[in-house]
Amino acid sequence: MSTVDETAGVAVPRTAARRGPRFPTLGENWWRHAIGIVAMVWALFPVAYVISAAFNADSTLNGAGIIPRSITLHNFKQLFASGAATKHFASAADYPYWYMNTLIVSAATAFFTVMLGALAAYAFSRFRFRGRRMGMLFLLLIQMFPQLLAVVAIYLIVFNVGGIFHVLGLNSITALIIVYLGGVMGVNTWLMKGFFDTIPKELDESARVDGATPAQVYWGVVLPLAAPVLAVIALLSFIGTINEFVIASVLLQSSKHQTLPVGLYNFISGQYAQWWGPFCAGVLLAALPVVVFMMSLQKFIVGGLTQGSVKG
Amino acid sequence: MTASAVSSQPPRTGIRATAWSLPSRAVALFSGPAGFAVKIALLSIANAVGLWALVILAGRHQWTAVGIVVAVTAVIDALYLVPGRAVPAKFLIPGTFFLIAFQVIPVAYTIDVAFTNYSTGHILKKPAAIQQIKQVTLAETANGTSFTMAPAHDSSGNLVLLLVDDQNGKTYVGTSKSLTPVPKSTFKRSADGSITGATGYTVLTGAALITVSKDLSGLVIPSGGDNGIRAEGLDTAVELHPTLRYNAQRDVFVRISDGAVFHDNNRGSFVHGKEELLPGWKVYVGFHNFSRLIHSKLIRGPFIRVFIWTLAFATLTVFLSFALGLFLAITLNKQGLRLRWLYRSALILPYAVPGFLSLLVWRGLMNDDFGVINKLLGHIGVHVPWLFDANWAKVSVIVVSTWLTVPYFFLVSLGALQSIPSELIEAARVDGASPWASFRKVTLPLLLVAVAPLMIASFAFNFNNFGNIYLLTGGGPSVGDNTVAGATDILISYTYKIAFAAGLGQDYGLASAVGIIIFFIVAAISWVSFSRTKALENLA
Repeated sequence: MSTVDETAGVAVPRTAARRGPRFPTLGENWWRHAIGIVAMVWALFPVAYVISAAFNADSTLNGAGIIPRSITLHNFKQLFASGAATKHFASAADYPYWYMNTLIVSAATAFFTVMLGALAAYAFSRFRFRGRRMGMLFLLLIQMFPQLLAVVAIYLIVFNVGGIFHVLGLNSITALIIVYLGGVMGVNTWLMKGFFDTIPKELDESARVDGATPAQVYWGVVLPLAAPVLAVIALLSFIGTINEFVIASVLLQSSKHQTLPVGLYNFISGQYAQWWGPFCAGVLLAALPVVVFMMSLQKFIVGGLTQGSVKG
Repeated sequence: MTASAVSSQPPRTGIRATAWSLPSRAVALFSGPAGFAVKIALLSIANAVGLWALVILAGRHQWTAVGIVVAVTAVIDALYLVPGRAVPAKFLIPGTFFLIAFQVIPVAYTIDVAFTNYSTGHILKKPAAIQQIKQVTLAETANGTSFTMAPAHDSSGNLVLLLVDDQNGKTYVGTSKSLTPVPKSTFKRSADGSITGATGYTVLTGAALITVSKDLSGLVIPSGGDNGIRAEGLDTAVELHPTLRYNAQRDVFVRISDGAVFHDNNRGSFVHGKEELLPGWKVYVGFHNFSRLIHSKLIRGPFIRVFIWTLAFATLTVFLSFALGLFLAITLNKQGLRLRWLYRSALILPYAVPGFLSLLVWRGLMNDDFGVINKLLGHIGVHVPWLFDANWAKVSVIVVSTWLTVPYFFLVSLGALQSIPSELIEAARVDGASPWASFRKVTLPLLLVAVAPLMIASFAFNFNNFGNIYLLTGGGPSVGDNTVAGATDILISYTYKIAFAAGLGQDYGLASAVGIIIFFIVAAISWVSFSRTKALENLA
């Protein structure tokens, strides 16, 4: 616990610094910088390593290092090359499919998460009806049984449904999206209900007086006001869906139909050391948009985090 | 809590500016034909999907399902077309529909499966299993009939066998349903007697033959009595005779050779002493799966080991991450610290990268021979079997999980620290408290009010953190006992392996039972957290 001791000690020097020179010098904070630099190296080391490996001409794991020997785009080209160039390992050529599938699945899930969740949240926030309390408690209870735990049942259901409706069977991203939609109600509905509660009821009432139906109040008044929060929930849902491995790996079995986690996992499980370069290039391309999004929306996401803890 | 402040901030400016002009605009935009058209379009889509399902289901004579589809579609139509009634339901139905279909039903089904013996060898229903047993116990007899055979496709692409009886030269076409005599002239035969062609059938050769070889070995052609004809290799077939007779009245199989009686053991199998006929069938077994977790040595050992490791993994990950995150937040969030923004952004970065990518990368970094960590350590003569040794693999899992989780607690601590009024700390100092005492007695308790619920939520999350285990170590390394559970498997990855890993067969029943146990554990944790959180709030 010596760490905490040190940090608590800062209270005194702080006032001392205020009385002294206006700008604190490096000298007095040197240990903070030391810790900061260690923490930075610790946090960024794998990131730097991936970037280096992605551009490294030697595409094996053995040849990878922190500083690439020579820079090339060869690894990226391999990901998008047709079967011939990657004949040693056929599924490397499926990377574009994984990327597209992931985008489609995550975007669709995020969109419907917000739509379905917000509808229900509005009902719980604005109407008083029989079973309202029960309904909310039920949502709380059911979310403690994550879909993850029912993965066996989901697999068996999709397998059997696929025997009748082929488009909703195994290897169908439509089926995957629909399955994900089953899990959207819990946390999200509670989060959005909490936010809807903060929007003044007078707004609804004045619209109702003007003759608006509940549907019109919802689409025209409440939803536009809640847009920023809905956007954050959509983003968190998007990222959560990108990361989902279990259900996707069980339902999507043929390479072309897989999402990035499943595809990349299978990709490097086989020829780990040999395909390290293209793999890192794939990681970089997959991570970049998400990182840019997350870093630019930092402030909003922190708020969402502390309330719902969707990830972490 | 800062949380609510941050998330309710964005719309606040919006409300002021547009609040009172919005209602009238909204009414203009959403009333009348436009809104109605959208509603009708959505309803039409729902009805079209319903109709599509109906046609397919009716074609397959699934009448129960037809009834459900009709009822659901009717309820939806009635709800949205009758004006002014059951308004809350209109908002709740869309989400509830998916909730029931893919959350409630799977949960119910999981509970159902947990009380069955659904597993490899117990997939079928009983009549199908009896049929299967009859087929797999057919055996060649000393003087049985043999055939010259050629696999072929009929005009609609079904696999059939073209057969010529080696004794009397009679010709047949056999399918899985029947054996039909055909005129001899139907077959074209080469000099050595093998069948090279047949009118109306495509004889399979080369690659086509290889693709059907699996179907071929499973194809049994009924040939009168309980006998059947099965392919032996790719160009001959033999007539097989039953070794067991099924007695429908007594519901037993009797072995013809010695009269041994195999009776239904109520566990989904026909048994005679220790001998069991395969396949069995799916049957309800009560609490058998749960009692196996306690009584079966083969299952109890791994289960308890996995359970303890799950608790250790989740607890260590949360506490290490919280301690480190809080420490970094206090150290690096000092007013006027140069490069503060840089440290902050760098620390958040691991959180912004999708977790599965980081995990797969860490797996490469920790690779035994080629991984960069071991290569760097190699310079000082150290070699660590990060993922190969059972204990080191546990260390690796916790190190990487902490790497992934620290940014979260760093962010959370930053927010929570800012929400603590500085007067309280100053007051403590004025009263003569040492910095350490004021941290321990003032800052930490206030911080925990905000952070404790998140720690519990994070614990519950990590308790089921399949990805962190499976993507990094795959649950391995194997510990060598007779089980699928590796050294770093947590309950959820253990469940996954019981259900889907091919190694020791797939046991859906046991996997569902473990799933239910995990549910009760997580529910208990959540329950405790809810009551504790309230208590903490009251304290503050």
